[in-house]
Amino acid sequence: MSSAGRALQLRKGKLASLARFGGLFGLAFVAFALVLLVFGKNPIRAYADIFLSTLGSAYGFSEVLVKMIPLILTAVATALPARIWLINVGGEGQLYIGALFATWGALNFNNSPAWILLPLISALGFLGGGLWAMISGFLRARGWVSETISTLLMNYVAILLLNFFVFGPWKDPESANYPQSAPFPDAAILPGFFGMRVHLGAVYALVSLILFYLVLSRTRWGLEMRAIGVNAEAARRNGIPLARYIMALMFIGGGWAGLAGMCEVSAIHGQLRPGLSPGYGYVGFLISWMAGGNAVGILAAAFLLAVITAGGDILQMAHRIPGSVVNILMALILFFVLARKAKGR
Amino acid sequence: MIGSFLGGLFVGSIHAGTPLLYATLAEAIEERAGIVNLGLEGVMLMGAVAGFATTVETGSAALGVLTAGLAGGLFNMLFGFLVITRRANQLASGLALMFCGVGLTALLGMPYIGSRIKGLNEIPIPFLSDFPVVGPIFFNYDILVYLVVPISILVWWVLFSTRWGLSLRAVGENPTAAFAAGKNPYILQYQALLIAGFLGGVAGAHLSIAIAKTWAEWMTAGRGFIAVALVIFSKWHPLRAIAGALLFGGAIALQLQMQARGVPVSPFLLDMLPYILSLAVLAVWGGARRHAAPASLGRVFQGTE
Amino acid sequence: MRKKGSYFGWKLMAMVAGFALAFAFTLPEASAQQAKLKVGILHIGSIADAGYNQAHAEGVQVMKKNLPDVELIEIENVPEAADAERVMETMIKQGAKLIIPASFGYLDPALRVAKKYPDVKFEHPGGYKLAPNLGTYWASTPEAFYLMGIAAGRTTKTNKMGYVVALPISFFLANINAFHLGARSVNHKVETRVVFTGTFLDPPKEATAANALLDQGVDVLGVIVDSPITVVQIAEKRAAYSVGYHYLGVQKFAPKGWISGIAFTWGELYTRFAKQVMDGTWKSENKLGSLASDYLTIAPFGPAVPAEAIKLVNDKKQDFISGRAHAFPGPIKDNKGVERVKAGEVWPMTLLGKMDWLVEGVIGQPK
Repeated sequence: MSSAGRALQLRKGKLASLARFGGLFGLAFVAFALVLLVFGKNPIRAYADIFLSTLGSAYGFSEVLVKMIPLILTAVATALPARIWLINVGGEGQLYIGALFATWGALNFNNSPAWILLPLISALGFLGGGLWAMISGFLRARGWVSETISTLLMNYVAILLLNFFVFGPWKDPESANYPQSAPFPDAAILPGFFGMRVHLGAVYALVSLILFYLVLSRTRWGLEMRAIGVNAEAARRNGIPLARYIMALMFIGGGWAGLAGMCEVSAIHGQLRPGLSPGYGYVGFLISWMAGGNAVGILAAAFLLAVITAGGDILQMAHRIPGSVVNILMALILFFVLARKAKGR
Repeated sequence: MIGSFLGGLFVGSIHAGTPLLYATLAEAIEERAGIVNLGLEGVMLMGAVAGFATTVETGSAALGVLTAGLAGGLFNMLFGFLVITRRANQLASGLALMFCGVGLTALLGMPYIGSRIKGLNEIPIPFLSDFPVVGPIFFNYDILVYLVVPISILVWWVLFSTRWGLSLRAVGENPTAAFAAGKNPYILQYQALLIAGFLGGVAGAHLSIAIAKTWAEWMTAGRGFIAVALVIFSKWHPLRAIAGALLFGGAIALQLQMQARGVPVSPFLLDMLPYILSLAVLAVWGGARRHAAPASLGRVFQGTE
Repeated sequence: MRKKGSYFGWKLMAMVAGFALAFAFTLPEASAQQAKLKVGILHIGSIADAGYNQAHAEGVQVMKKNLPDVELIEIENVPEAADAERVMETMIKQGAKLIIPASFGYLDPALRVAKKYPDVKFEHPGGYKLAPNLGTYWASTPEAFYLMGIAAGRTTKTNKMGYVVALPISFFLANINAFHLGARSVNHKVETRVVFTGTFLDPPKEATAANALLDQGVDVLGVIVDSPITVVQIAEKRAAYSVGYHYLGVQKFAPKGWISGIAFTWGELYTRFAKQVMDGTWKSENKLGSLASDYLTIAPFGPAVPAEAIKLVNDKKQDFISGRAHAFPGPIKDNKGVERVKAGEVWPMTLLGKMDWLVEGVIGQPK
């Protein structure tokens, strides 16, 4: 087949799968509408409100972007190790540890100017998440513990560790004994654009996606990773350093999640506090999985889920539905994608 | 002095550990059949809300527990459809189930916040609970607590001494071989999920009907995930799960008891121990794949249709 | 099969998009007539919790009844950390000019939003920092807790009292200290134990904490969490006495053991806030109510409280109102032996935010 013909087929295939996804999302939206109807709410109004409040105004759209940043980063954190079939469910914990490291930097170097402090805490955030993930990577590389299990367990430890610090040594003496750290110095706060909350972290997210795509498709490392993905044993016997890849990919993946943590604590909260992340790590895992570990797919899925979760507010405000119900919509989308995908294997 | 501390700690561990144990048994059954269910949290929540709502409406806690189990079992069937029939990725499906459970129960539980129930009360065993020190510690619990250890033993017996249990474990180890031997992995896995869902629902009901006697959004607060860790900690064995649940429950109870006595201890460092211990146990006892976990855990049976 | 699927997918997507757009454009205006003032309130939990959140919710309902042309935007279960800012801004975009972020942890997010929208007014309950357009308010609960302590001190049979508290926030510590001092003033043998659950709402943990305290021989249980139901129920079940908080309605959970409780009736205060914003007389200040205010209410006494205790309480209440008495008169030592208030002095109510210690005789760790 000619290369033009093949390109056309590829395009058609991509369009077909895009349409298939669209169909699945549509089904999920219809199913959620039925759920709303059962509880006596008007689904058309609800959907209209969700889309209007998130996409119908500059502010709403900026909030969608704000939510997308940690989602993209944690999705990449899962997608990268997934290339060699490592399952990283630890994005949440890696995010927390990244935030922890970043806080340490912000609190201890609070007299430095922004152009030193921001790169410093960014690097610290990356380092924190990366080291945390690398523990799991190490355990896996040695064949001791599956990374699925260890990353999951490490999530709990990370959350408790953060609580330990904000309830204890790092508790802000000026905050009436409430568990939160001292506020970050202004130099440590990621600046926003146009007075909105969208912040420099968006650059990090974009860079992570671009690097992810480029490294995988254009570099030798990407080639070796694909080889490992196809047949790890054969790759290893051919001289590809499997253990090194395991540790490196877990480190880098965890690093992106750690960066997400740094962004949240620096740009959104301005201080370390419990409940930093409403499950970004887990949603990121789902996004990566839904998108098949594909960069563009991650962008699209992150966008969709950001719209849905940001839309929860308006459901509560205007329709008296608990904001938590958007979780049902998210779950339904996943159910349909999951149910359909397996068949086509 | 020490007696009342240990006594109070024991009682607290039992209270905190019972729902954990039910949930762990549920997850153990599923994982023995080769299926990881990260959505156990959602199953527990469905049980908690269904049980609480039923108890409010009918005044019967027993009916509440039953409904909770059924709700959990049915909810788990949804998960079963995805991972068994559609052969979907188990981790993603589990997380999706959890999110669905959180959102759905928030909606279902809305009218029941602030409701009152008599609930499941303690039933002191007539003669034994009057013993001076040990009486109140060992013999004054609600029915679900009394039942949990016998049920654990039952689960152990079923898994290891019955044909059904053997077949189930075979499916978890090597579904193709089991299929070749004439078992139907699909049916077995569905059955496992139904039973597991029932137990998970009961775990949630214990929280809402017996311990807290109230409903709040996401009141399981991560206990479903703790159960997943507990299964690993007990190496997929129902009897070891009893010890594990007591330990994890103890960690929760310990820090509250310590506070009540004025002992300075960081509750967070204490809470971390069970997880770190789980990791250590796994690391020391060799790779999860080889030694303890069911060999085909997480993999999808690609048999003939 | 595949081809069919993709056509179906396109059609469905188009349908859904079409519907959404059609209805979006044919929707009537969000509010038919212009309200004079839109007030937004954020709750951290459910408004049916017979506690903290319900008290605030009923407050704004009273405000709405008093001022019919005020429109209310209300949202529950907003977590403190992640989404509070976005919710507040969304309310402001909908036209809210007065925001009540009703939870302690909303203070910093509220301050950030307040800076961005200088023409919107904020009133934060229990806050300790002000801004030109953000005021704070609370009732001086220590005095009320002192009264509770008097009642409890005379009702307890074991002389051991316990408190299940969410977080060791200074204001909560102040309440416990006042409670203990009040009890000690009528009963020299009492001791108070405090257990912190670490979060504003976690019913199973509160249950475990309550039981742990009762195991220690405590027979009076007080509670400072968002929803007092769990602790009060457990006290009643184990035949202990209970002291409520936040909401009067919780008394029905403990018909026998109820001592009394402190409730917030915010309605008139919120009405005043709204009126001030509407006629431009609002100003940013820290409003500390007292026993004389209309938003701090002492619950009716339960059957177990002896009559002479009730008399002591009422007498002391008058002393507080008239200014003759103070909740924290020196000398006071904390439970580590450090002297915190010298003889002849008092710990000022304005410094409650700095009270990070527990009084001698209280067993617990504030740090």
